[in-house]
Amino acid sequence: MIQLVLGLAALSGVTAVLALLLEVADAYFADYGECRILINDGQKELTVQGGSKLLSTLMDQGIFIPSACGGRGSCGLCKLRVLEGGGPLLPTETPYMEAEDLQNAVRLACQVKVRNDLKLEIPPELFLIRVYRSRVVSLENLTDVIKGVELRLIDPPEISFKPGQFVQFQVPEYEGCPEPIYRAYSIASPARRADTIRLAITRAPNGLATTYIHDYLREGDEVVFNGPYGHFYLRDTDREMILVATGSGLAPILSILHQMADEGISRKATLFFGVRARKDLFYQEELRAIEQRLPTFKNVPVLSAPEPDDHWQGETGFPTDAAKSSIQDPANVEVYLCGNPLMINAAVKMFTEMGIGEDRIFYDKFG
Amino acid sequence: MGRFPIFQSPHLDEVERKMRPSGDYRHGFLGKDDRKLVQVLSEDEALVRSLSLTDGAIARKLADLTAQARKGLGGPVVVEGRFRVQVQEARGKIACPWGHPGLYPKTHVELTNLATGERLVWTDLAVHMIEAHGFYQGQGSPYRMEPSVLKRVLDL
Amino acid sequence: MEGGLSAPVILFAAIFTNNILLTNFLGMCSFLAISREINSALGLGMAVTFVMTCTSALNYLVYYYVLVPLDLVTFRYIVFIIVIAAFVQLVEMVIERFSPLLYVVLGVFLPLITVNCAILGVGLFMIIRNYTFVQSVAYGFGGGVGWTLAITALGGMRERLSKAPVPEALHGPGITLIIAGLMALSFMGFSGMIQMQ
Repeated sequence: MIQLVLGLAALSGVTAVLALLLEVADAYFADYGECRILINDGQKELTVQGGSKLLSTLMDQGIFIPSACGGRGSCGLCKLRVLEGGGPLLPTETPYMEAEDLQNAVRLACQVKVRNDLKLEIPPELFLIRVYRSRVVSLENLTDVIKGVELRLIDPPEISFKPGQFVQFQVPEYEGCPEPIYRAYSIASPARRADTIRLAITRAPNGLATTYIHDYLREGDEVVFNGPYGHFYLRDTDREMILVATGSGLAPILSILHQMADEGISRKATLFFGVRARKDLFYQEELRAIEQRLPTFKNVPVLSAPEPDDHWQGETGFPTDAAKSSIQDPANVEVYLCGNPLMINAAVKMFTEMGIGEDRIFYDKFG
Repeated sequence: MGRFPIFQSPHLDEVERKMRPSGDYRHGFLGKDDRKLVQVLSEDEALVRSLSLTDGAIARKLADLTAQARKGLGGPVVVEGRFRVQVQEARGKIACPWGHPGLYPKTHVELTNLATGERLVWTDLAVHMIEAHGFYQGQGSPYRMEPSVLKRVLDL
Repeated sequence: MEGGLSAPVILFAAIFTNNILLTNFLGMCSFLAISREINSALGLGMAVTFVMTCTSALNYLVYYYVLVPLDLVTFRYIVFIIVIAAFVQLVEMVIERFSPLLYVVLGVFLPLITVNCAILGVGLFMIIRNYTFVQSVAYGFGGGVGWTLAITALGGMRERLSKAPVPEALHGPGITLIIAGLMALSFMGFSGMIQMQ
């Protein structure tokens, strides 16, 4: 009996000593000390406690790098250039690296651990990104698969963005999704309304975020999002504008049109909005109102598969074909595209073949 | 694993862990299946062989149908006079749970066999997993591709 | 042999003639799974050698200064495993700090060193054979180097073999076990050279 007790005591003693030694070792080895992070050639200088991943370290310092997976290393969006101090490229990063990324010292911020001083290069527009808390004030079924979500900002109370940009919407854990995730949605509301934003979200089959938004989100719920992001916005030139949108791709284009109406930008502009049938059209009254305010703007809905009951008299086919036949002077035209990635790829090919330079074709590619 | 004997390994455990429902893949590629991944792979491999098919042939047919569907730019396309296919593409790219380099677009293809009315759905990633890993997904996954159904519906 | 062999001889024997893996067949699991590339095989081998040497020393001290005085020798199995587990955790911390690439490449195999039977085996053998402290450390070090030698040799062979026309049914574990068996056969030629028991 005494031997058993003695044995257990000895066992516990040895284990306790070892555990203590491990604690000491952990404190010593895991302590990376203070690290200096220089961003954009010294434009910004941060002194942080090392040991965490770069993504969360930057986020704690108020710099938001886009991420759809919350730092798990499965979306590949958090790319930035690590010029010094990043260590070797990890196997968890290689699936997301293109050839030019490898040459430019591009890394995934969620995989790089801050162990020593770093030198980074981050696109300056990312410094304007904030995290916003908001509340759902209305949910509208714009079509049978597209939901309009209106969010009133709580904190910070206002957002300033360029029409055409998007936000990363945080979907919390819910049944079927054990972790929070982020998805990008374009802002459909005018920029002059700084305290509320509106999003138009299409249901994706088996989609993680869109299932939540269509089936679980309720009025009054709080929503966290960060942004604004994106390089899709109105360019300040005098050229004629051709706008092509499909489905919820209308959202950023509508925001841009509101900007033009609010600022009195009277460039010749034509919108070719492509959907399948009349029931898939939405925001048409708003577009007609903008036509009233901007005599140089014309809204052309294009149906690719109108139902007989639609009694459709307008354009049919694909919006890209309708746009193509309307262009008379390809040298003096700017094209803005948003929507279905297949349509965008086909359209870019078609427009460049027509002689419109690639620097005059703007589109929103989230992927 | 579509080409070599299937064996258990810590790497396969890691792949199986990624396949369970998570923040990255909603339905989880194994669905409600209780079997281990190595079992799913072995049993499907035996099934495919018993149907006198190969993973490569099935994947090639699916990829070909997807390419045809893409021409419809989101609308339905009739292929070979016996299938109606339609593709829907969501934004973003998705990685393969096997963890090798390569990102796949988030496509969702729906096929209807015009003769029998039977329907089939798949994604670009699902086709890749059939071709490179011999993985047809678990029972209960919305993109489970039952080899016998594939043979019947696609007339292979 | 009770104190009969000198430490350098034990070292030599543990590496070549009484290789812990090819002669005693201990430590096979990670041997089969990680030996696909020479670099990762060498990395893991060094980690195992370090763990084996240090745990031999530690286990010797714990055995003769804690367990024997308290007459608790039957507890040695549990205590040795605890010491090995703690030590592997330490090695994990060190590797993560100084070579994050190796840490990610080894992945789950690093904590799996804990259950590598070769490490426990070395500890138990040194007790059975009544080695002194110096002999135990030599045996631990030699055992680790021998294991590394075996795994690196196997890694090299598999790298070469990846271009060879191996029959489909034997890919992966099949051909690996055959190679391991052939290596063990060749090491059997050493048997009887040095009596370690």
